[in-house]
Amino acid sequence: MFDPVQVLAVGLSAFLLLLVLELVRRHLLGEDYAFIWISGAVILLALSTQRTALDRTAEWLGVRYGPALLLMLLGVFVFVALLFFSVIISRQRLQIERLIEDQALLEARLKDVEANDADSLGDDSSA
Amino acid sequence: MNVLILIPAHNEVETLSAVIREVRNDVPALPILVVDDASTDGTGEILPGLGVRWLQLSQHLGIGGAMRAGLRFARFEGFDTVVRLDADGQHQAAEIPDLLDHLETENIDAVVGSRFHGSQGFRTRGALRGAQWALGRFLSLVTGSPVTDPTSGFWAFGAEALKLLGDHYPRGYSEPELYLFLHRNALVVREVGVTMRSRQGGRSTLTPTRSAITLVRIAINMIVVPLRRMVRRHPDV
Repeated sequence: MFDPVQVLAVGLSAFLLLLVLELVRRHLLGEDYAFIWISGAVILLALSTQRTALDRTAEWLGVRYGPALLLMLLGVFVFVALLFFSVIISRQRLQIERLIEDQALLEARLKDVEANDADSLGDDSSA
Repeated sequence: MNVLILIPAHNEVETLSAVIREVRNDVPALPILVVDDASTDGTGEILPGLGVRWLQLSQHLGIGGAMRAGLRFARFEGFDTVVRLDADGQHQAAEIPDLLDHLETENIDAVVGSRFHGSQGFRTRGALRGAQWALGRFLSLVTGSPVTDPTSGFWAFGAEALKLLGDHYPRGYSEPELYLFLHRNALVVREVGVTMRSRQGGRSTLTPTRSAITLVRIAINMIVVPLRRMVRRHPDV
């Protein structure tokens, strides 16, 4: 039976999967982070195509309308994805701050070395 | 003790020279390091003329980043004690020997100067004082040591604290979290009374919005920091 909602869900899931693969192909999305999007798209695609399984799961959970479960799962997925990327951003922030601090320390040491070299050259000249 | 005076500075061109003159006058034997936290008011330009050692951060990191850079510098240069002095003129350099004396003679890892520990001088008032009092009570309960000035930036750190803080000095407006962090990592902090002044120039970076965000951040840290694992200390000081 033709179900517009199911067609839309399948279409969007397939589109998301192809989009992610294309971004990876163009090196715009790293493979490390692509897996979460590919996993999500594959799960959504599987649930979209298996309407009977979706309806049975929704009924088991007390959800009257199957696609509503799909929407809930999408929400959970987005939450998990955001949390995952927040963790990555936090780690990278620490790394960036460390780099900035180390850069300042290296510049100071370079200044000291240059000052010492200049003093040595001055001593050599006067000698 | 091999002591370094560490002055983190962000947009303190109005007061920095006077602070350094005061340090030279009151504790002339102690070397000074200024960490310019990407100032935009010309603080960085006056550093070469001040006759101090200095670091310049290329991006604004806040007090935590400036302190981490300065403490790692101290570690590398062989210092075993660091006194943090603010660049806004609130802290009096004449109090530094007293802080160092407590650090040396008592079996403690850090000393913090408290403006509410039975001393005179500038004190905050109103809602800010109320918040400080409440925070101090909470920190006293958690750490088991009296904390009367949880937002004081006037600290002296010993060798064990240096091993930790060069890598782990907390981010943001970090003073309350610093108490908890040191306690969580089995270091002993003692408060001593000091006299502070009001800010001698420039402007505080604490806008009302930042203050609100800071309070939320502090509240989260009060819960989370005691639950964290102890961190590994840097082996060399």
